[in-house]
Amino acid sequence: MTIDIFWRIPTHGEPSSHRSRKPWRGDWFPGNDNLTKPGLGGGEDGSTYIDYLAEIARAAEISGFQGGLIPSFPSTDEPWVISSFLARETKTFRFMIPFQPGFLNPVVAARQTASLQRATGGRALYNIITGGGGPQQLWWGDSVPHDDRYTRTTEFLDVVRGVWRGGPFSYQGKFYQVEDAGLPDPLSEEDFPEIYFSGSSDAALASASKHADYYLSWLEPFDALRDKFNRVKERTDALGRKIKTAVRVDILARPTEEEAWEEIRRGFANVDPAALARFQGAGERTESVGAQRQRGFRPTTINSYTDLITEPNIWSGFSLLRGGQTQGIVGSYEQVAERLDDLVRLGADAFILASTPHLEEAYRVGEEVLPLVRGRPSGSATLRAVG
Amino acid sequence: MAIEFIWQLPTGGDGRHGDATQTRRGERSGLTRPPFTEGVSDPRGERFNFLDHLHQIARAADLAGFDGIQIQHDPQGDESWIVAGYLARGSRRLKLLTEFEASRGSAVYAAKNAASFQRFTQGRFAWQISPGGDAALRRQQGDHAPDSDILPRIGEFVEVAKGVLTQSPYRFKGRFFEVLDGGFNGPLSNNPVPPVYLSGGSPEAYALSAQWADVHVLDAAPVDELKETIAKLEALAAGQGRSLAFGLRIDVLARETESEAVRDAQRFLAQSGRAVGSSDPVVAPGLWAGFATERTGAAASLVGSYGTVAERLVKYAEAGVSSFILAAIPHLEEAYRIGEQVLPVVRSRIATRLSKAA
Ligand SMILES: Cc1cc2nc3c(=O)[nH]c(=O)nc-3n(C[C@H](O)[C@H](O)[C@H](O)COP(=O)(O)O)c2cc1C
Repeated sequence: MTIDIFWRIPTHGEPSSHRSRKPWRGDWFPGNDNLTKPGLGGGEDGSTYIDYLAEIARAAEISGFQGGLIPSFPSTDEPWVISSFLARETKTFRFMIPFQPGFLNPVVAARQTASLQRATGGRALYNIITGGGGPQQLWWGDSVPHDDRYTRTTEFLDVVRGVWRGGPFSYQGKFYQVEDAGLPDPLSEEDFPEIYFSGSSDAALASASKHADYYLSWLEPFDALRDKFNRVKERTDALGRKIKTAVRVDILARPTEEEAWEEIRRGFANVDPAALARFQGAGERTESVGAQRQRGFRPTTINSYTDLITEPNIWSGFSLLRGGQTQGIVGSYEQVAERLDDLVRLGADAFILASTPHLEEAYRVGEEVLPLVRGRPSGSATLRAVG
Repeated sequence: MAIEFIWQLPTGGDGRHGDATQTRRGERSGLTRPPFTEGVSDPRGERFNFLDHLHQIARAADLAGFDGIQIQHDPQGDESWIVAGYLARGSRRLKLLTEFEASRGSAVYAAKNAASFQRFTQGRFAWQISPGGDAALRRQQGDHAPDSDILPRIGEFVEVAKGVLTQSPYRFKGRFFEVLDGGFNGPLSNNPVPPVYLSGGSPEAYALSAQWADVHVLDAAPVDELKETIAKLEALAAGQGRSLAFGLRIDVLARETESEAVRDAQRFLAQSGRAVGSSDPVVAPGLWAGFATERTGAAASLVGSYGTVAERLVKYAEAGVSSFILAAIPHLEEAYRIGEQVLPVVRSRIATRLSKAA
């Protein structure tokens, strides 16, 4: 199968470059930019942050991306809302919606998803997340512990699948019970959304192997990532299913490698020393196995941005420049494309890429990098190199 | 309080033939609407479905001068929050009164989604929280709460949603929801709580509205009956140190002449499968019962000429109703008819009476 490449929607605000600390573009945080009023989005013109996000979604589809991941964190706008708002003004953009199953009744979620499929012509996808736990979980109003949350995730997906074709479907789980449920016609005629699944713990892998189409990971050192993908595939094979894998990775691509590193150097020079100290320290408490793995891959002494170059063209300081993951690819257009092809060779079937600012970079990456990626021509899946 | 006119959006289907045949214009499903015969080419393919028509209805309400749309909660139809988002960018003006049940999930998550709605629509999102169907229907929705928990859960849902939208850190531990160190910071802070519309005729429902509703939506009934209810609810709300506004969910069948309206009303009843004359549908002058099913919702419809329907709406306004949630089938054509023929009369009569009273 050929490779699917997605973009990302910056729900966490948009600075004008990797060097800037001011994520105010598009009235993301009215009142904080000294230009707009606090509270409700927008200046006098009536436009709001969704107008900027609409530009990015259209840039991504015009540039050849499948669609985009719409991250959901406590201070970000919600992907269900963004997707429904942008349904009518996009043509091919696929909305990848992260959500924690525990927050929605699965029968309502099924109907909500089917309606979004109808609104978009089948362009909704799930990114099933199960929560990093720690204090944040009760911020969301969720008191269920880590491994039980994955049981709940599995049950949730059992129910959504069960009711999808119209039922009548009954289910007796620990978290969910339904009686004679089913989607109404014509909602029941929609395609079930593809499931991207994230979570690195054992409990996560167990749930993913039952329900996921794609197992999604942040970029990790290539050897660690290969092992992780192999583990997921073994577990899924044991259930008689097939699973594909996807990598979420930040990239910084420029005409020359020097220009790309110069951008990183200047971005790193702007990092607040306190943030750097936190980055080198233990970090905030989390139950997330995935987040702990990311932390484990960082060097412990950091005097220069070059200390964070952990493999050729891999920089492990992206989370210093903006919220999110640590490792990303830096280099010339050719180098970035080559590293993506390396990931294809170790098993990746899909990518979610991001770069700041997401609007201009969607065009740049779509025009300069994607055409250089060889990917995996249709029919060559069986020839996949293992090494 | 300013009077608002809200047009209902039928998320489960629409039709021009009473309730008997619900159609979904634009729907591609072969089950819902027969295509043309084989002898006629059909250019539509799979490009449209009922959501396109719902968008048309919302645009009609916008252009015909309504203040908002009510996006109906119908478990047999499209999901109301998705429909609300899908329509939101079709207007910069309409209030999006979105109906749902408190069993939809976490109140924090609902509030967080609402904050995005408010940011993207500049505060046009509103909530109508309904108790839902009977216990068997609720079990189909994965909801096993007993009857006695339905209203208390709505109360907690509103309390938690208001809490996280207006306070940080916010803490709550109730029977249905729990939050620790909650509340929105950064871009999601400072957004208005969606106005809460509740309904119901039991003493428990009145108490719930007195405590949590911004608007209590009344079922259509003769105006004198509603006056009593309004007085009772106002007293209950005052007891909580609050004030309530009142809504009215009523259908409107208005025609140029009285006799055309009566003829169409009788035709709708016949199409709905009700034997005309089996019981008198006229429950008060110009107020007919019996069109509605569980799906369409209104307890009764005003039937009459443009002038008499307008006058009856004015009477309700004088009795204290400030939010009219109106509907008529088919919803697109009738949005224009009511917007053009009835609302201007109601608005100007209310304005002159208010200025006389002043
Ligand atoms: C690519 C990727 C994207 C993620 N996106 C989100 C997100 O948008 N919101 C969120 O709360 N968690 C997100 N997560 C976090 C994980 O889904 C998961 O909740 C966390 O890793 C804890 O699970 P674990 O202990 O099994 O790793 C993401 C994780 C990955 C790998």
